[in-house]
Amino acid sequence: MIIIMKKKTFVKRPWYRLDLSAIVYPTLQRRNFSSVYRISVLLKEKIDPVVLQQAVDQTMPRFPTFKVAMRKGVFWRYLEPNDQPGPFVEPDIVNPCMPMSFKRRGRYLIRVYYYQNRISLEVFHSLSDGSGALCLLRTLTAVYLRLMGHPIPDGHGVLAVKEQPDPEELEDAYRRYANSRVRPPRSRSRTYRIRGTKEPFYTLNIITGILAVDQLLTVTKKYKVTVTEYLNAVLLYALLGKQKEDRVFRELPVSLAMPVNLRRFFPSKTLRNFITMVYPLVDPRMGDYTFEEVLTQVHYYMRYYLNDKFLNADITTNAAVTQNPLIRVVPLFVKDLVVRQFYKRVQDKQSSAGLTNLGIVDVPEEMRAYVERFDVLMGQPFSARTNCAVVSYGNVLSISFASSIVEADVERLFFRKLVQEGIHVKIETNRKRGK
Amino acid sequence: MSYCVNCGVELHKTCEVCPLCNTKVCHPEQEADRLSPPPYPDQKGDMDPVQRSDMTILLSVVLAVTAVICGLLNLFVFYGTYWSLYVIGGCVLLWIFCLPVFFFRIRVYISLLMDGLGIALYFGMIALLHPGNGWYPALALPLVVLATGLILLLAVYVKKMHASVLSGSVLVLSEVSVFTVSVELLIDGFLGTPFGITWSAVVLTCCVVIDAALITIIRRSRLREEVRRRMHI
Repeated sequence: MIIIMKKKTFVKRPWYRLDLSAIVYPTLQRRNFSSVYRISVLLKEKIDPVVLQQAVDQTMPRFPTFKVAMRKGVFWRYLEPNDQPGPFVEPDIVNPCMPMSFKRRGRYLIRVYYYQNRISLEVFHSLSDGSGALCLLRTLTAVYLRLMGHPIPDGHGVLAVKEQPDPEELEDAYRRYANSRVRPPRSRSRTYRIRGTKEPFYTLNIITGILAVDQLLTVTKKYKVTVTEYLNAVLLYALLGKQKEDRVFRELPVSLAMPVNLRRFFPSKTLRNFITMVYPLVDPRMGDYTFEEVLTQVHYYMRYYLNDKFLNADITTNAAVTQNPLIRVVPLFVKDLVVRQFYKRVQDKQSSAGLTNLGIVDVPEEMRAYVERFDVLMGQPFSARTNCAVVSYGNVLSISFASSIVEADVERLFFRKLVQEGIHVKIETNRKRGK
Repeated sequence: MSYCVNCGVELHKTCEVCPLCNTKVCHPEQEADRLSPPPYPDQKGDMDPVQRSDMTILLSVVLAVTAVICGLLNLFVFYGTYWSLYVIGGCVLLWIFCLPVFFFRIRVYISLLMDGLGIALYFGMIALLHPGNGWYPALALPLVVLATGLILLLAVYVKKMHASVLSGSVLVLSEVSVFTVSVELLIDGFLGTPFGITWSAVVLTCCVVIDAALITIIRRSRLREEVRRRMHI
C-alpha cells in the first residue's frame, strides 16, 4: 500500500509593527478611554444599511492595515490580519468615539455607523491617521454609491477595490524618512488646562460649526495667513479668554497640540500613521495679547517649524527612543507603565487643547453630486479639555469640537470670534435638546 | 432658521437652546422643530463588556494547583508540621482579594466584607496552630472587624454621598485617629495594663488639627473654591 504524504506548506502570515505614533495609543487604553477618532460623510440621500454592509465587505480587503487585530508581544504590540467576520455596520449613537476594546467585536479596531444620510467611520489611532482613514471612507462611499447604481470612477482619493494594495500604502514611512543627524532636545513648559465639570462616563459633547469656505478665505486673505494659522489663532485667543475668565491664581502659557501631515513634506502613499505634533504657544505672562498679535505669533511659528528639516529632526528624535537597544529589551508591561505615567504627567500637560485640520477633501467629479459635506471628530480627550477638528469639502468647512466637560466656554469664545469677523456660522450639536 | 441672540450663530432647526451659551431659542414666528431628525440620534452606545473569564480561570487554576500540591507535599513528603495550611490559606485569601477583578459586577461592599472575613479566618487558622495567650480574640479579631467597618464606612460615604476630595479626606483622617486609639486601647487590654492613650494621642492631635482646618475650608465657600482652584481638585 502506498501512502501519499502530502507535504504541508507553511503559509507565512503577514503582521505589521506599530509605527512610531501608533505605539503610544494602546498604552493609554483604559476602560473609559481609547484613542478613537471619527470621520463622517453626509450624503444627499438616506443610507441603506444593507447596501452599506455590502460596500464594507467589498472595500475592506483593499485596506489590509485596517482589517487587523491588536496583539501583544513580549516587548511590543503588533497588528495581525483579522479574518473574523466583520466589521458590521451599526446604527449611529449619540456618544461617538466610545472606548474600543481590543478583544471584543471580532477584535476589529474600526467601526462603521449610519444615521439618516450620514456614514461615520471610527478608527483606533494605531491603525491610521486622518489621511489614511479619509482614503478608506472615500473609497467606501464610492463603493456604496456604485452599489446604489451611480457610476463613480476611481481617483481623487478613491482607490480601486479590485486591485492589490500597493506595498507603499502599508509601509511605516517614519522608518524611511527619520534620518536627521541631529536630535533636538525637547523642553516644553506646563500649559494652561481648562477647568470644567466632568461629564458622566462615556459622554462626549460635540458642537459642530459649519462655515462657508469663501467667507473664511476673505478674512484670512485680509490677515495674509492660511486657514490653519487663522483657526489656530482663533482657538488660542479663545483659550486666553477662557483663562482670563477663570481668574487663575497664576497664569500659564496657552498651547495647542496640532498634528502635521508629514506626507506634505515627505512623499509617501502610506495609509498608516505619518504625522508629528507641533505646539504653537502664546505666553500671557509676557503681557496681554491682541488677536492680531496671536495671529502673528502663530504665523511665524508655523513658518519657522513647518519645513522638512525641523520635522525630520522631530521624527528622528521620536524614532531614536524606539530604536534604543536598552529600551527595546524592556518588557512591554514596564514600557506601558512608564509611557502611561509620562503621558499623564508630562505630555498631556503640554497643551491646553488639540486642533487638527484634515484640509481640503477631494472626490471624483462624478461623486460630488451625491456628497454634501465631510465632518471630522478628534474623539474623547485624554484629560478634561476640548479638541477641535477641521475639514473642508467644496465650499463647506466643518469645525467640530469634542469635549468631555459640561461647559462650552471655549467653543462659545471661538465661534463668537468668527461671527465678530463677519463669518456666518451654523451650529449643530449632540447635546440634549432643551437641556 | 433661528439665530442665538447672544452668540450670533445660526442654530440647527431642532435646537431649543443655544449649545454655546444655553440661551433659549425664541423665534416668534417659528417654534423649535421637534419632528425633524436631530443631527445625532438619541440612542446611547453601551460599552463592550470586558472579557475576564480567561484571567479568572487562569488565576483560579494556578492558585488551586499551588494549594493542592502544597497540601500533598505536606501529607506525604515534608510532614511533621502543618506548614501547607499557611500556603493554602494564602491562596484562598489571594483569590478573595481578586474577586473584583474576576467578577466586574460584584458590589464593592460585598467584596470588602469578604476581604475582612477572609483575613479574619486566616488569622483564625494561624491562631488554631499557635494559640499563644489568646491574641486572636483579644487583639487580631477586634482590629480586623474595626478596620473592615471603617473601610466599609468610607466606601459607603464615597459611593452614596458623592463625597468631595476634601470631605473624603476629613473622614479618612477621622478613621485613622479612631483606629490608632483603638489599637492602643486594645493593646492595653491585651497586656492587662491600665487603659490610657499615650502615643496614639500624637496621631489623634495631628488628625484633629488637619480635620479642623479641612472642615473650616469646606464650610467657607470662598476659601473652598480657592483651594479647589489652586489644587486642581
